[in-house]
Amino acid sequence: MTWRTQANAVGRICWFNGILGLLRSPLVFVALFLTPLSFLFFLLVVAPRAELPYGVVGGVLFSCLFTGSGMMNDCAYLRLERQMQQVFITSPLRPISWVLGMALSELMFTIPALVLFLGVLTLVKPIGPSSFLALIGVILLTWLLASSLGFLLSTFFRTLREIWPIGMVVFTSLSVLPPVFYPLAAVPASIRWVAFLSPSTFASQLAVNAAGLATTPVPSLSVLSSAAGQLIGLVFLTLTFIAVAMWLARWREP
Amino acid sequence: MEALTARALSKNYRTRQGTVNALDRVDMTIGKGQLFGFLGRNGAGKTTFIKIASGLLLPTSGTIQLFGLDVLGHPREVRERIAIVPQEGKPFYHLTPREHIEEYLRVRGASAESAKSTADELLEAMGLVPYSHTPAMLLSGGLQQRTLVAMVLATGAEFLFLDEPTLGMDPFARRQVWEVVRRTVKRGSTVLLTTHYLDEAEQLTEELAVIEGGHVLYKGTAEALKSKVRREVRLHFAGGFTARELEPYGEVYPERGGLTVMTTRSRVEELTRVALERRIGVNVGPVTLEEAFLTLVGRSIEEDEPGGAWA
Ligand SMILES: Nc1ncnc2c1ncn2[C@@H]1O[C@H](COP(=O)(O)OP(=O)(O)O)[C@@H](O)[C@H]1O
Ligand SMILES: [Mg+2]
Repeated sequence: MTWRTQANAVGRICWFNGILGLLRSPLVFVALFLTPLSFLFFLLVVAPRAELPYGVVGGVLFSCLFTGSGMMNDCAYLRLERQMQQVFITSPLRPISWVLGMALSELMFTIPALVLFLGVLTLVKPIGPSSFLALIGVILLTWLLASSLGFLLSTFFRTLREIWPIGMVVFTSLSVLPPVFYPLAAVPASIRWVAFLSPSTFASQLAVNAAGLATTPVPSLSVLSSAAGQLIGLVFLTLTFIAVAMWLARWREP
Repeated sequence: MEALTARALSKNYRTRQGTVNALDRVDMTIGKGQLFGFLGRNGAGKTTFIKIASGLLLPTSGTIQLFGLDVLGHPREVRERIAIVPQEGKPFYHLTPREHIEEYLRVRGASAESAKSTADELLEAMGLVPYSHTPAMLLSGGLQQRTLVAMVLATGAEFLFLDEPTLGMDPFARRQVWEVVRRTVKRGSTVLLTTHYLDEAEQLTEELAVIEGGHVLYKGTAEALKSKVRREVRLHFAGGFTARELEPYGEVYPERGGLTVMTTRSRVEELTRVALERRIGVNVGPVTLEEAFLTLVGRSIEEDEPGGAWA
């Protein structure tokens, strides 16, 4: 199949799995709004006024990161419980197209939350069109990062039971522990580099930068202070996850 | 040209309990355009073979080719030419049978119009028209299975792997599936289907292989397999006899909690009389593929299956 037919196939998967899935399960829709809304409520109550924009940007990133959790769950479910992954990849469809179609589906699921958070952001911290575009770029990169990680993890499971605890550990430590909801400045300068052990820190600093919020220097690893360094780091990590996933992906069980 | 050639194909699964030898140096050829069946009990190795042949599972050793292409070396080329109904596959919750067929065909590269007309044809042939707009989650297990089979048969792929395609279907639906499978083969596809339904193996496949414990015990037609049994009649006793008592009459096998003996017509009356005297139920019938299987494998095809039908 040509690139065009592969792209078309990706679009079809996004349509029937993502969009139709969303439209036909209204409860999912509610659930998708509820988590970020609760976070927002929490932030409004506890966050100091000045740090609220960081929290809202955090909400944007949280939504992007959790597409990875959805990706991990759905890919594992469709492979182990429904065997639909097997049906779709024993076809002219390339494995990478299946992964991309699934990742786009997950993006559809998170669009409501993204719209909500971006809307609130424009209220608490007015941003110009170029910042907005930069933020969209960071959103897309973070989504790709999280999806590739989610898919990579999904390939390791042998039963559905293993998924829940692993998902909790991985995606919670990606989104709650590192400076996603709070500013990097809250981390003592001497150990700030440690935060960059989490891929989500690259994304959050880029997003903070894009939204025009004050950025924080990383004394011991100054390359991580610059947007360029963070961007390269994020792209590198994403490509690595995709490559490892494609290499290890258990299209063929061992 | 052969559609499928396997040479000394072996698969060992490593588990905590040890190694399971699911396939043991299996040789297999399936001709182009054939409707070929794998017949075997649960755990015989049928699914393992299909997974390897469709590139979903790595063999431990041996080679396998599809249309002359090495499955491991050319996964992309092989995948373009196949489609598979995995055992215990299930459709998407929220999609209707029509959407399953159309979307799957379009993902495989078909145009919207051809996907639609093929879906019309398949929905009709598989008896899915009344349900064509019902999401799969509201369909019974049998209808979900029909949806899965329909979407895969609709591809008309060059090589179709159907792993227990009629599992859980009622007899009428099974015959509908058989019809569509036959038609797909007439149009040029090669089909490998696995089953542990004897009637399916006998009535649907052109050639079959009996698989047991990772070995191919027989390859040929169902007719030729039946003719291997020299006896004419089978008698099944629900109980009340010991194997030793029955052995003088012919081959004895444990079956469905009782005993089956294969014997000649002349001994039937005597055995029946004794059974009735002992007030034991007896079931008399002609030798079928079931007995041929029993003779070949030494066990009933339903064994290990709690609740297997008592025909
Ligand atoms: N993933 C696996 N891990 C360990 N053992 C397996 C696995 N899959 C199948 N087996 C074992 O391999 C043998 C063959 O199984 P399978 O190919 O599924 O048989 P069939 O399809 O004929 O019922 C069985 O003993 C089964 O328990
Ligand atoms: Mg099987």
